[in-house]
Amino acid sequence: MSHQWTDRLSAYFDHDLDPTERARVAAHLTECAECRRVLEDLGRITTAARAYQGEPPAKDGWPGLLRAIEADRVVALPVRPVAGRGLGWRHLIAAGLVMAAAGLGGGWYWFGRSGEAPPVVAAAPASAGALVVGLTSAAYDNAVAELQRTLAENRGQLDTATVRSVEQSLLIIDQAIAEARAAIQRDPANGYLNGRIAANMRTKLSLLRIATRAVIPEA
Amino acid sequence: MLRLEPAELEPDVVLAAGGDTEAFERLYRRHVAKVSALARWLIGDTDVDDAVQEVFVRVWQKLGTFAGHSAFGTWLHRVAVNALLRRRQTLGRNRARFTEDELALEAAPAPAQHPELRLAIERAVATLPAGARQVFVLHDMEGYKHEEIANLLQIDPGTSRSQLHRARLLLRKVLAP
Repeated sequence: MSHQWTDRLSAYFDHDLDPTERARVAAHLTECAECRRVLEDLGRITTAARAYQGEPPAKDGWPGLLRAIEADRVVALPVRPVAGRGLGWRHLIAAGLVMAAAGLGGGWYWFGRSGEAPPVVAAAPASAGALVVGLTSAAYDNAVAELQRTLAENRGQLDTATVRSVEQSLLIIDQAIAEARAAIQRDPANGYLNGRIAANMRTKLSLLRIATRAVIPEA
Repeated sequence: MLRLEPAELEPDVVLAAGGDTEAFERLYRRHVAKVSALARWLIGDTDVDDAVQEVFVRVWQKLGTFAGHSAFGTWLHRVAVNALLRRRQTLGRNRARFTEDELALEAAPAPAQHPELRLAIERAVATLPAGARQVFVLHDMEGYKHEEIANLLQIDPGTSRSQLHRARLLLRKVLAP
């Protein structure tokens, strides 16, 4: 082995040589055991490097990070971009309105099989502000119901793994909403819980939008 | 048959994008070890905790732009690398010494005695000269191409290639049995 060859082994390993040069290195490798060993070592090192997942830090950084993102949330809550190939204006307006109506939602429906009537998963609690925002709540429900209807009608276009993922995620989100609603019954003035319900309602709409967009890109 | 990227549908990602901090905590705990290693390798040991926090604040802010075209971890690492290199630039440590002492190969530590190569990697990578280390981490650990690395580190693609080669030979010297 000489540096002339060693210097090219990395590039050979990465398929980063032109065909002529690659053929020359390949020919050399057939007769040089040392270069073959170097090449094998490069493979082992890069494989180990890619698999390395790190060691958790000694100090838990989550409490400090939570403070930082809570402070950041006052400025701007992360929102999925909705322009371009997203929902139509009807949906966007409905979604926008409901964000202002934290925690005041209507029925929750499952992403049912085509042709089946979707069962109610959780119902909205009565609220002192329900009459004021009743239209908003209904608009949100309509947007969700329409997306779910579209998905149910086009369910056959999605593979089973995707349907399962969507259903699992919707179930988790609905459970989170139901739990927050149960908690708010005991503590109606809790702003945090209202915020959680609003955020999860938005998440549900986002997830339905992503899945709908997959089956009907122009939706 | 249409298939959505699982990343698009990962409940914790969807929930965190909607503002759920508990879901975001789960994502943080799943990825913090690797991000901490990236921070140590790309900016050094001194302010790793602050750098890691900055990365995750950035991830939180950008979650809404995650479109699910790649795995969430891959997207997160890209955000992390950009944030860490920007931090490095801000701290005035940019353009690491890419012309470091050619004797580095000769001065490499003795081969690692650790039986498990994977466990010895972090320590071995930390011994690399800064320039070689950055290129190795970006190319071999994070999957960047030489042209992308050249752009990120403001170096020539040829420099990236030679630093990668150097890093691999140094690591071989440290890690090979």
